Amino acid sequence: MKISIGCDHIVTEMKDHLVGYLKDKGYEVIDNGTYDKERTHYPIYGKKTAEKVVTGEADLGITICGTGVGISASANKVKGIRAALVGDVETARYAKSHLNANVLAMGGRILGIGVIEEAIDTFLETEYEETEESKKLIEQIDSISMNDESLNDEHYFDEFIEKWNNGGYPTT
Amino acid sequence: MKVAIGNDSNGIELKEHLKAHVEELGYEVIDSTPDKDFNLFEAATEISKVVNEGKADRGIVIDEYGVGSFMVANKYKGIVCANVFDEHSAKMTVRHNNASIITIGSGIVGKKLAEKICESFLHAEYDGGRHQIRVDMLNKMC
Repeated sequence: MKISIGCDHIVTEMKDHLVGYLKDKGYEVIDNGTYDKERTHYPIYGKKTAEKVVTGEADLGITICGTGVGISASANKVKGIRAALVGDVETARYAKSHLNANVLAMGGRILGIGVIEEAIDTFLETEYEETEESKKLIEQIDSISMNDESLNDEHYFDEFIEKWNNGGYPTT
Repeated sequence: MKVAIGNDSNGIELKEHLKAHVEELGYEVIDSTPDKDFNLFEAATEISKVVNEGKADRGIVIDEYGVGSFMVANKYKGIVCANVFDEHSAKMTVRHNNASIITIGSGIVGKKLAEKICESFLHAEYDGGRHQIRVDMLNKMC
């Protein structure tokens, strides 16, 4: 199984640890970055990680940032993604078994590494179990009208990055 | 500040509890799912709509795990939603992500913690500053 993983600069070391953790368990890993502690922007990595899953390059995704919110919100804004932000193992299990979630997200500044590893193990090992209710919910989620203009567009955020580089945003 | 609150069939009891608590905190509460037969998709869709139309400033959605409503709300353009299980995340997601909606799992989060989560969420304000570029990126998506 191939796992796509991404993070922002707040939790790079935790992501690096998880890349090793997954490889040791025999998973193939696509590490979408970020790769250092230099300040960057979580939607870049949420989008990249999610797109690997949507295109079939990876089977499932994992995203982490400080609270997990920003990077998982950006993953969910990719058409075809059902990203689950969880704080415990049981919610990770439910998200996969009932909603067939394809990205798992957690807050690196919220949870300890024990819960994170256990939630990942559970998420990857749990099978989707279709019921009438789950089928209906997934169909409803997938029916939400979303554009796919951003898919695999590496320049999708250029206008904002250019503005940032030109001092158009505050840095504090 | 107006707060829209909604639930699916698993979230009714906690919703009623939180409605009373949020009103006691001095906020105007709009119950957006007064009927009992909403599923989490319908509840999260309704709250997203109410917030996007400016009929409420912030929204709270309750289902059994919080995670389904979280998926749904983030699919709507202009919505940043957080599935929250602690007070710190409730505060930080407003300060850093400018989140307008939180979801709470009635089967995961107890009443007292849910009260505190709502307080942290409603008392927090967006920091702006360097966080704006990320919020601009999120708002361009979907």
